[in-house]
Amino acid sequence: MIKRLIYLSLVALVVGCSSVDCPVDSTVATLYQIRNSDGTELVITDTMTISTFRADDEGIILYNGRDSIIYNKGVGINQFTLPISYSHPEDVLMFQFGIANTDSVVNDTVWIKKDDYPHFESVDCNTTYFHKLTNVRFTRNYIDSIVINNPSVTYDSQTVHFYLYPKSND
Amino acid sequence: MTLKRFISTSILRATISILVLSASMPAQAQKFFSFQKDSVPMFRGFAVSFDLVGAGLMAFSDNGQYEGALRINLHDEWFPIIEAGLGRANHDDDVTRIHYSTSAPYFRIGIDKNLLKDKHGANRLYGGLRYAFTSYNVDISRPDFPDPVWLWDTGYGVNNASCNYHWIEAVVGVDAQIYGPVHLGWSLRYKRRISHKEEGEFGNTWYVPGFGIFGDTRLGGTFNVIIDI
Repeated sequence: MIKRLIYLSLVALVVGCSSVDCPVDSTVATLYQIRNSDGTELVITDTMTISTFRADDEGIILYNGRDSIIYNKGVGINQFTLPISYSHPEDVLMFQFGIANTDSVVNDTVWIKKDDYPHFESVDCNTTYFHKLTNVRFTRNYIDSIVINNPSVTYDSQTVHFYLYPKSND
Repeated sequence: MTLKRFISTSILRATISILVLSASMPAQAQKFFSFQKDSVPMFRGFAVSFDLVGAGLMAFSDNGQYEGALRINLHDEWFPIIEAGLGRANHDDDVTRIHYSTSAPYFRIGIDKNLLKDKHGANRLYGGLRYAFTSYNVDISRPDFPDPVWLWDTGYGVNNASCNYHWIEAVVGVDAQIYGPVHLGWSLRYKRRISHKEEGEFGNTWYVPGFGIFGDTRLGGTFNVIIDI
């Protein structure tokens, strides 16, 4: 009888146990790779800083400079990761390139259009959004072109979303 | 291939496989699938049952189900069974502030085998299989929250998303006669999802009517009041 009770208790314990299965890597961000015009990876020697529009406490949309830098003074890089807004139809990014060994600065603006999808894992996991990149526009001062390689922005942090081609004479 | 076609093809294949298997199986296995030869008639009546575990969960937690079953008794050995229920969840998470709600019927069909040597006794030990299906809608939401970088208020919601879920269950259970036609019994179930679909591909659903909380555990159980009719 006791044995039976023990076995039953064990089964009840197993049935009663619960676990939380949230993804370990739950960052949703875009990965950019810098490339030569021939498609090979390029390490830029210029200093790159990226900022964006965002809202302050009063909900006013501010321009660059007020703590809106999302990538600060990258040098000698060939790829970088940028955040993507949760649910806004278009992100605006300001790229600022400090040309190596000079005082000159070149600015470009990039507009990224996207569709946003709420993503759900469990009530125990934080809310997040997945995105589908639909279009990218940009000015052409330092940047020659930006191409969408993978439009799907998810937990996958390894696949390159954008190829960024600088102008070859910069 | 559509999901419906895939499922009907799968069931057809499984049926053919079982028939071919039973034709080619050794004598001992054939004995397992056959009826004992005695004077007891083949058809022994029906039984209806009601699950108390699901009803208790429904009463004392934010998710659970009302479930009943109709079982046919074939010679006290084989018991084809249909189970149907209404599963419901209405959950507010204190930490993540996510609200999740769904309510939908579900159905299971399967068969149990009485594993006891004394087939016609008052008590039974069952082993069996079920195929289960539900089609349900979910609402998932949380209050607006600021985007961590842009600081805009961000809403989050999946509204009335249509989903369906197919799974199989392996069942082990006991059934004991208490008084006259009244029996009590419990069953343990091991569940495996075989296919699912969520409208809009928003990810996973959390509580699935009849299946329970996905990812929590593959085990489940029922405690049944059974009445022979």
